[in-house]
Amino acid sequence: MKNAVYFSILLAALAAAMAGCAHRAQTTSAPGALSLGMVTDVGGLGDRSFNDSAHAGLLQAQSQLGARIQVLQSKSAADYQPNLQAPTNQHFDEIYAIGFLMNKDLDQMAKANPKQNYAIIDAVVDDPNVASITFKEEDGSFLAGALAAMVSKTHTIAFLGGQDIPLLRKFEAGFTAGAHEIDPKTNVQVKYAGSFEDAGAGKELANLLFDSGADIIFAAAGKAGLGAIESVKSRPGKFIIGVDSNQDGLAPGKILTSMVKRVDVGVFRTAQAAKNKTPLHGHLILGLKDNGISLTDFQYTKNDVTPAMMKKLDAIKAAIIAGKIAPPATREDLATFKPVAI
Amino acid sequence: MNDAASVVMLIVSLTLIKATPLIYAALAGVISERSGVINIGLEGMMVAGAFTAVAVSGPTGSVVLGIIAGIIAGALFGLFLGILATKFRVDQIVAGTGINLIAIGGAAFALVLVFGQPGASKEVPSLEGASWILIALAFASAAGLHGLLYYTPWGLRVRACGENPHAVAAAGLNPLRTRIIAVTIGGALAGLGGAYLSVGELNLYSDGMVAGRGFIALAAVIFGRWTPFGATGAAIFFGLFEALQFALQRSGIPNEAMQALPYIAALVALAGLTGRVRAPAADGVPY
Repeated sequence: MKNAVYFSILLAALAAAMAGCAHRAQTTSAPGALSLGMVTDVGGLGDRSFNDSAHAGLLQAQSQLGARIQVLQSKSAADYQPNLQAPTNQHFDEIYAIGFLMNKDLDQMAKANPKQNYAIIDAVVDDPNVASITFKEEDGSFLAGALAAMVSKTHTIAFLGGQDIPLLRKFEAGFTAGAHEIDPKTNVQVKYAGSFEDAGAGKELANLLFDSGADIIFAAAGKAGLGAIESVKSRPGKFIIGVDSNQDGLAPGKILTSMVKRVDVGVFRTAQAAKNKTPLHGHLILGLKDNGISLTDFQYTKNDVTPAMMKKLDAIKAAIIAGKIAPPATREDLATFKPVAI
Repeated sequence: MNDAASVVMLIVSLTLIKATPLIYAALAGVISERSGVINIGLEGMMVAGAFTAVAVSGPTGSVVLGIIAGIIAGALFGLFLGILATKFRVDQIVAGTGINLIAIGGAAFALVLVFGQPGASKEVPSLEGASWILIALAFASAAGLHGLLYYTPWGLRVRACGENPHAVAAAGLNPLRTRIIAVTIGGALAGLGGAYLSVGELNLYSDGMVAGRGFIALAAVIFGRWTPFGATGAAIFFGLFEALQFALQRSGIPNEAMQALPYIAALVALAGLTGRVRAPAADGVPY
């Protein structure tokens, strides 16, 4: 019996140690320098998407601003609070919460530590010591939808989301409206994988959408999107549109473009401000104008995207920046969206 | 008409794809529970199989070696659980949970060691079009396990260990060894289920890709009344509803309701069948 108790304790300790290993991704030190802490969302580093983009901004701050950085990965929502607490205890110059799911935990943390600077991506947290960085995903998605409608030969395109949540509906609504801007008769199918992690589900849904006639899928599904990219590889004439990071190189020629959400721009900008001792607070909205949102440059798909299409995209982009087109960010707004002649 | 036929085909194929990893894991649950060891660690064993298959398939370039390695990894975790649950009489729920934590954390850690990047592995050689072999093998495994449990002396011993290990011991046999072997075989099956996910259906490992399938398989074990064919049927049932959920999204039925439906059905079936459904008497009881 005694043996059993010892063994249980050993097992629990081992498990805790392993979990700990996975948590702390990296630490580098240069004493006295700007210190930046980052807490990733459950998707974690390696999603080649949202969290990696934030990480790129952090690495840029490390190399260009000489910042000392630390990344804490969240394995579940229960990790947010302790992961935010650790860098808070070390009084980092700026602490980033990557992802809207952290908004409540960050709000509590910010109220409890009013002297600490925080930044959150994709959510608005109304505290004087927090910079809230959000993106006009609907604008970039609108461009992606317009491009897909122009390139599609079957006039059927699809949106594949991770979880069916308001943030993802901004992508969905913008994409659908963009396609209708080009051709109101474009059939836009919509599916959600129900997860940002289940790569198998991403692949199965992409297969299903391709089989039902879609030839371009906008996959905004984190690691589940990797499954969709896997699906497109064996299908000539079909494309995926990537998301968040530049995913074009994951399947050269098969990723039409990526709608890049420059989380790194937001991260780097706040880091710069922190370096200059003028930390950013309040709400920062990044869109097409400041390159916070953009499509990648068709590096591998030049043969599929004609100069005329690029010209049209530029015209739409200009119209959005000028306010002539207001891409819808919800399903309700999408229902009343009317294509605008430009 | 053609359309309806293609929709049916699509749902059938999607159901098979969705059910296959569940079948392997559910069979793993059946053999270990029939021997008297509750296996909460199925999820972790699948993770171990999924990760190891990719970690071996990548460097060696051989998907077959990868799958074999995945099976061995699952079996090792099974052996570990078996020893904990018998020789050390550790609470089986705690031990299984520990295995899940070790496997999930360990895979995330090893991912960085092997591939130099967190979150998801690089792409590795996979079965691609030949993944149907593993689907077929899942059904063959169900038949094989049925034969093993009901038509061999060793199978009788396994079932006896799950009902009354003292009787097995009285017959001069070693119930601990039988349980360890049964749980190890289970681990191998769960590892194969994990390998199907990573190098069968896909060609990469990403953290979280097993996505709770080990726990759904546990439900399939109970729904299938601790028999190989029953558990296989339950896994197909769950797979069918997942396939329907995918195919019928946005057609008026709320997604969440579709996702919950098979489990509600399982609960109703189990509640309505009380008295007829019975776990092995010594399931979860250390000998």
